[in-house]
Amino acid sequence: MQLIAKLGILADAAKYDASCASSGAPKRSSKGRDGLGATNGMGICHSYTPDGRCVSLLKVLLTNFCLYDCQYCVNRRTSNVPRARFTPEEVVRLTLDFYRRNCISGLFLSSGIIRSADYTMEQLIRVARLLREEHEFRGYIHLKTIPDADPLLIEEAGRLADRLSVNIELPTDESLQLLAPEKKASTIRLAMGTIHQGQLAVAGERNAPRFTPAGQSTQLIVGADSTDDHTILGNAQALYQGYALKRVYYSAFSPIPDSPSSVPLAAPPLLREHRLYQADFLMRGYGYSAGELLREAGNLALDIDPKLAWALANREVFPLDVNRAEPALLARIPGIGLRSVQRLVALRRERRIRYDDLVQLRCVLDKARPFIVTSDYRPPEAEVRSGLLRARLREPQAPQQMGLWA
Amino acid sequence: MIALDCGNDFATWREQARTLLSHNIDPCDVVWAQGLMHDLLALPTPLPTGRGSFRARIPAALLGQLEQAGRYRGDQRWSLLYEVLWRVAHGDRTAMLAGDRLGSELQRRIKQVSREAHHLHAFVRFVPLPPQLAEHLQLDLVAFHEPAHDILHSASEHFAERLGRQRWLIATPEDGIRYDGNALDYRKQCPEQWQQWAQQADDPDGELWPTYYRHTFNPARVNPGALAQHMPGRFWRHLPEGALIGQLVGQAQRGKQRDGQAAEVASQGGKRIVPRGQSGPL
Repeated sequence: MQLIAKLGILADAAKYDASCASSGAPKRSSKGRDGLGATNGMGICHSYTPDGRCVSLLKVLLTNFCLYDCQYCVNRRTSNVPRARFTPEEVVRLTLDFYRRNCISGLFLSSGIIRSADYTMEQLIRVARLLREEHEFRGYIHLKTIPDADPLLIEEAGRLADRLSVNIELPTDESLQLLAPEKKASTIRLAMGTIHQGQLAVAGERNAPRFTPAGQSTQLIVGADSTDDHTILGNAQALYQGYALKRVYYSAFSPIPDSPSSVPLAAPPLLREHRLYQADFLMRGYGYSAGELLREAGNLALDIDPKLAWALANREVFPLDVNRAEPALLARIPGIGLRSVQRLVALRRERRIRYDDLVQLRCVLDKARPFIVTSDYRPPEAEVRSGLLRARLREPQAPQQMGLWA
Repeated sequence: MIALDCGNDFATWREQARTLLSHNIDPCDVVWAQGLMHDLLALPTPLPTGRGSFRARIPAALLGQLEQAGRYRGDQRWSLLYEVLWRVAHGDRTAMLAGDRLGSELQRRIKQVSREAHHLHAFVRFVPLPPQLAEHLQLDLVAFHEPAHDILHSASEHFAERLGRQRWLIATPEDGIRYDGNALDYRKQCPEQWQQWAQQADDPDGELWPTYYRHTFNPARVNPGALAQHMPGRFWRHLPEGALIGQLVGQAQRGKQRDGQAAEVASQGGKRIVPRGQSGPL
């Protein structure tokens, strides 16, 4: 099979993985040296596909032959899809060619499970080793980790790659048993633990070899089973705390060709995915806890964002005086982001903050107005009940089409 | 009215602004323009000679901000900077902060300029020259790019870090930059030859990247608005994948949304896998 035909099949097979980040790698430069590639901690999105997703890395599978039968996966062994396999040298050639053209900042390599978990992991490592050692490639490398692989192999991968990821895929053990019978929650967590231990071993040691400097990440599929957002966010929080994960990715389940009846054949729940990302960002960047964002079982509201939802549920905190409130509290005002908080704090050292300043800072005042006090403004809505405010602030929803049999 | 031309060069502007400020000349009495002045009401008076008596103290960070904002192509390009400088020098630091009207425009320009540098790093596409031509021209990679602001000179070092000993050039309709593996050669006027090399390069392996782009796209998630927001349409014509965008959106909206697979893959024969030790249909 020609390289271009393989590329088509193995890119198509890899697109269900959401992650394409190239950020967080240490500073490396090839200036005046042999080899190719640089990283500086900042990710670059070299293109965007018409689904609005960033293309930062060459994201392919080494092969889409797979012994597993995970129901949600297009590459499961019972799926009727064309199969292909790259040689490690072919992946290296594609990576270097696309990198020279400035189409990508690195490689995200994953694979179906062939022969055994160890064999598959060895093949992934071989690609990374060829790139790093033979071609002195200093760009970004993200390797998918095969959970059942020998911990020694996982450690080897961690020394070559900037990021490793082990996908949880389904948020509960029951769903895994049902939809991915060959996978086990316990081995997935063991692999995460191996990576975390590897990171801890070099932390604070300046001369130690680097180990996954851009951290580890995972992915959860949303909407393939019936798990609610409360469970998903709780899981994510436990992963951030327990394994110091850099990112949890949420992937709205996207219907696959030749779909088995065990998973839905419906449009991907993109808005739900978006709300989960917003909630996740509030946990990582703003200091909200999962329990604050969703107090009881159920899903995040779709018609308002989770920050506004929290503010509406905690009216006693507001209105906040923008001239006095602690920065951490300012960041909890709907419509005022972290960047604006920094700017407000800088500005209020010089003088009192007026309503017009928030306009100049391009804060989303429609959202912020009921929750703020400035030197020249008090919200008349301070007394308005949350239910009414919500009705005023909710985002218009696309009409739900009725099911044929509903 | 004092009319000045700094040739869109920051160092020149800085000298002029320093002189003006030392003579305490008000921002409304000075104007910068390119070439001849067409403002009939402006009776040009010359820039005073020598330094005046006003000694301004300005925060160290301001100079860097002015230099960055000076790369912005737009109305009042240099006058705005002088107004900021004048206000800060007279003790009003809000003129450089985003909450103030003037400061907000300054910060907006800085943001646009750094965004445009980021666009350069993201959307430049090099074409590798064939070995013989590369040897002849002493050049491995060429690219053509159309930045909206004057960022080429300050933002191109990035490619020397990425590409090691590769020799490359980036041509634009205005300026150009070339790297010989050791040093950068920046030209304010891009040589015509550079533009020709960059725009007429042959690319026999050029189909690989558009193939990848077609297949990494998931038609079930089509969202053209998000694409246009992050990758403005003005860049599409120099991107090898640019021509595909409309086509892919069209196909997706005509019913490909049901699943994520590309049509070219769906039309190929599939293969189910039988694990070793098992036989017969699964």
